[in-house]
Amino acid sequence: MPTDTKRVRGPEVSQSPSVFQCKPAAALPSCGVRADGRQRDQLDVRPVFVRCGLVSQAKGSAYIEAGNTKLMCCVYGPRETKRKDETDMKCGRLTADMRFAPFSCPERGSWIQSSQDKDFSLMLLESLQPAVCLHKYPRSQIEVNVMVLENSGSVLAHAITCASLALADAGIEMYDLVLGCSIRQDGASYVVDPTYVEENSCGSASEENQGGLTVAFLPSLNQISGLQSDGEMTKESLTDGIRTCIEGCYKLYPVVQQALAKAVRKAAPPPSES
Amino acid sequence: MAAGFKTAEPLEYHRSFLKENCRSDGRELSEFRTTTLNIGSISTSDGSALVKIGNTTVICGIKAELANPTVESPGKGYMVPNVDLPPLCSSRFQAGPPGEQAQAASQFIVDVIESSEMIQTEDLCIERGKLCWVLYCDLMCLDYDGNVLDACIIALLAALKNTQLPEVKINTETCLPEVTSEKKHRLKIYRHPVGASFGIFDDSILIIDPTAEEEILLTAQLTVVTDEEGRLCSVHKPGGTSLSGEKLQECITRATTRQKEIQKLIDKVIESVKTAQ
Amino acid sequence: MTSFTCDESVSLCEGNMMEVCGSTDSCLREFGCEQSLLSRPDGSASFVQGDTSVLAGVYGPAEVKVSKEIYDRATLEVLVQPKVGLPTVKERSQEQCVRETCEASLLLTLHPRSSLTLVLQVLHDDGSLLSCSLNAACMALMDAGLPMSCLFCGVTCAIDADGRIITDPTAAQEKESRALLTFAVDSTERKVLMSSTRGSFSVHELQQCIAVSQKASEKIFQFYRDSVRRRYSKTL
Repeated sequence: MPTDTKRVRGPEVSQSPSVFQCKPAAALPSCGVRADGRQRDQLDVRPVFVRCGLVSQAKGSAYIEAGNTKLMCCVYGPRETKRKDETDMKCGRLTADMRFAPFSCPERGSWIQSSQDKDFSLMLLESLQPAVCLHKYPRSQIEVNVMVLENSGSVLAHAITCASLALADAGIEMYDLVLGCSIRQDGASYVVDPTYVEENSCGSASEENQGGLTVAFLPSLNQISGLQSDGEMTKESLTDGIRTCIEGCYKLYPVVQQALAKAVRKAAPPPSES
Repeated sequence: MAAGFKTAEPLEYHRSFLKENCRSDGRELSEFRTTTLNIGSISTSDGSALVKIGNTTVICGIKAELANPTVESPGKGYMVPNVDLPPLCSSRFQAGPPGEQAQAASQFIVDVIESSEMIQTEDLCIERGKLCWVLYCDLMCLDYDGNVLDACIIALLAALKNTQLPEVKINTETCLPEVTSEKKHRLKIYRHPVGASFGIFDDSILIIDPTAEEEILLTAQLTVVTDEEGRLCSVHKPGGTSLSGEKLQECITRATTRQKEIQKLIDKVIESVKTAQ
Repeated sequence: MTSFTCDESVSLCEGNMMEVCGSTDSCLREFGCEQSLLSRPDGSASFVQGDTSVLAGVYGPAEVKVSKEIYDRATLEVLVQPKVGLPTVKERSQEQCVRETCEASLLLTLHPRSSLTLVLQVLHDDGSLLSCSLNAACMALMDAGLPMSCLFCGVTCAIDADGRIITDPTAAQEKESRALLTFAVDSTERKVLMSSTRGSFSVHELQQCIAVSQKASEKIFQFYRDSVRRRYSKTL
């Protein structure tokens, strides 16, 4: 591995203390109430806290907190494309970059972007692209930067919601907001908006119907802009899962709308009576 | 009208304010922006703090890991601080490996940790020559509006004060470490260094806590770090126009009072976190 | 101008005309400098302080990359190359210190939309590296004939356990010291251009160190003057 000369380096190898834990972590129950008290097999999403326009330097920004998952997104642009050869005369360019803070996961991550981060960035980009009126921004680029501050599951889904909110906050013309929701199928049952532990544990190991699903949804157009699934799922549970995710997105919709309306009201206060 | 003037002639715009002994954001020359502190908001880290100085936001997350001590200093642990200025925080930063400013800031934090002796790396040793803690102190700027060094030091100090390490024993039979995460102990912080940053405008006017807009126009910058005993841990002035002795003295005096204010703030926030639990 | 520089460098190398300032004063180690010793750069100098030695080369004013172009002044880039290995975070911080010091003394506005590159190659580090780098940088900039508003020099002071101030410490003295302070002093007003410190110290100690550095800087500036005078008296 090439050494990173642009950062302060620590020892060659170090291990997380969780590896040497005396007592192994208790296995998650695969039935009954979930660890955080939510219901299984129901549309029980975590309460969401959303704010717009926090970052002074960015054109638009948003912060989302769902349970312990915390992430923020900043939008810069539209501005001139940096690389001239990529300039498109008719259409704008959207770029998305999603990164995890090194302290965001139970195991410390590296500063260098992992392949997982790049996958997420690409999926984020593909989910957002259909919603942005890119033909209105010829020869320019719009940058979306997402930073995950704490990863407690369903990161991609919340990143999509957060990014579309930041785009809206930046005043970028869009056809619709993009909302994200994810579920985890675990055998016959499923959990909506899974936590990090739920995402990474397979409750009943031998069973087939195991997988994760993330849907990006345009609520007022009633269209799906992004769909990502991994694991092995039956056709029925997949279609059911998509339906559940869409319902989950609708649950999120009013919260996001309110946050946006609040940001707009703050930016341009209604004319006073005088 | 004012916005146009600001964009076209930023230097003249700021000069016109400084002539009246005030700043474009309504502050006086020697006035800090409001500093707010949030401790322990990241549960995936062993210690964390979020600092806001005006709009400037810096988050520090501390992750502790186990490693072998070096052969040269078998009784010491590691402190690995890194400052990141991601493209998220301002349009002036590019994606990719850290630029010069981020690297210089990282080195500055390393120097402050060493100079102030806020942490004794001997405390991080679990068993001499065999096992020690590595504290990865990752500092990330979320909103860059100037004076990121001050924010970094406060975030680091508050996060270290918030850090709890689990108890580790080495099993004599297997020679493997055993971690008891139920029993946790706090780090001992020996010194409380706090920085105060200054800018020199037009080779002569001294301003405190510059914003990003002001930073671009400054002819020199200066950061003074002091601890609670009034000792100087760092007088960092990376070039720029010269500074007279009286002005430097003024900066040091201001930095000492700033240290007291910030230490009070940190203690207050830690107290409120404790009572909330 | 360039041909002259080349000729000069040849004669300097042949005659081994390294100028050395006598070490009559115990404050500073024996120091010396050689200018125009490289033929490719527009200006070069090597500066030796005791066993510490830094080689500097200046390129420019030359064409600048569009991305780095500044419309009203020249872009200065400083690169510090360590003796072994690749530059790390520490070198980056030194680069920042040297660059901003040079920016303050150079009249960059005379060369808008152009680039200046200063490369500092560390040949040997035996303490006071940053001050030696600064001195080498200043001599190289002078050799390149770049317009400057003032000269600058670097002085390192170490405070040992007994509170004594040692100027221009060796690596061993640096290691034993309680605090280490490096200043860049300008030649016109003897004011502090740059300050970089390590270790903790009192306000009084800081002031003492600044005063000592200012005094020591006289000697270095006198050396600058003498060496330049000697060099040009031969050709003019």
